[in-house]
Amino acid sequence: MFEPPVQRLIDELARLPGIGRKSAQRLAFHLLHVEEADAVRLGDAIVAMRREVRLCIRCFNVTADEQCSICRDTRRDPSVVCVVERAQDIPVLERTQEFAGRYHVLGGAISPIEGIGPDQLRMQELVRRMDDEGIEEVIAATNPTVEGDTTALYLARLLKPLGVRVTRLASGLPVGGDLDYADEITLGRALAGRKEL
Amino acid sequence: MALRHDQGIVLRGYPFGEADRVVVLLSPNHGKLRTVAKGVRKTKSRFGGRLEPFSHVDLVLYEGRNLDTITQVSMIEPFHRLRGDLERVIAAATMVEVADAVATENEASVRLFLLLHRGLRTLDRTGVHADLVTSYLLKAAAVVGVAPALESCAGCGRSDGLDRFSFEAGGALCERCRTPGAYALRDGLTGYLAGVAAAELDALPAADDAFTGEAMGVARRFLEFHLERRLESLAVIDG
Repeated sequence: MFEPPVQRLIDELARLPGIGRKSAQRLAFHLLHVEEADAVRLGDAIVAMRREVRLCIRCFNVTADEQCSICRDTRRDPSVVCVVERAQDIPVLERTQEFAGRYHVLGGAISPIEGIGPDQLRMQELVRRMDDEGIEEVIAATNPTVEGDTTALYLARLLKPLGVRVTRLASGLPVGGDLDYADEITLGRALAGRKEL
Repeated sequence: MALRHDQGIVLRGYPFGEADRVVVLLSPNHGKLRTVAKGVRKTKSRFGGRLEPFSHVDLVLYEGRNLDTITQVSMIEPFHRLRGDLERVIAAATMVEVADAVATENEASVRLFLLLHRGLRTLDRTGVHADLVTSYLLKAAAVVGVAPALESCAGCGRSDGLDRFSFEAGGALCERCRTPGAYALRDGLTGYLAGVAAAELDALPAADDAFTGEAMGVARRFLEFHLERRLESLAVIDG
């Protein structure tokens, strides 16, 4: 046990994902030795993030305003929506610079084994957007896992009757990879989704 | 610490650390296996796709203190069609969930493994027969030693007048043995359940729409009662 203020910080840091007791202790002692202004800045950043950031009322991305910067951007195509499991997936897709539509964050994926059904995700909010925004295509950009695939199948069942085109991110071989190391499911999908040159 | 070979069907996995995954498998020789697959969530992982639920894989494991680490995986059967439509995924998830609920670690589970393997293979090859999951649930109850009495009274063994069903008493009951709270079953339902329980998974008789829904309900609640837990996968369908 350390002095109460140090111990309190260690206990808080150890609650973070991927931080064990030892790492928490190292970080706490690091913060003890940095300039006070640096430590205060870190504390302020955490408090400010919690106070200022909320969810976009349209797509549930994280934002400091009522709507996120993507939803506010009038140059984006409102007829195409990319559906992702988590808000962290949006910057990853944005980095590709291949997508100019909007997003919708479901807040997870359907997992029958864990008992997570569509009711626990933002499915109805997505359905409401179809009419309100005149959406023509929904891209299921959920992870290529059983849960992500199940969610994509559910999206297709839910939205196709509304006359919306539902597409799925292609899966295949990673660029720079070696065919030798590809697993059967990935390679099978790469073959099924082959493109004419 | 040594390397060892094993095989198993992937039951489920969950994220672990930065890019690792804990993968839970059912091995015929060692029952439930809890393993770690390192870096498997990265897109460049060599064996990520092989360790998704429902895959039947051959493994090389490095024995650790708590969890064994997977060092090599090769696919025996991917059952890839299971992920192709919602009904199959939910049926497969139910099969896997039941296997996960009844398997124990470090205990050979050959019968349970074969049941799961046959269930997934049938689902992969022929799709969802309306009584497939019901039959699987009844067979799983038999594997764990709580097969419901369907052709004779669970109380006295007589085979006629079975018009009540009790989860607690262990199956169908006759007029004399009926207990308070025993359900009245529709005529012919116990016989239908007995047929579904006895048939091979890949050779089920034609489903009768008049019975399939109720048969599934009885099998499900029976197993839930004896496992003392809810089958979450089936609850997703209800939703």
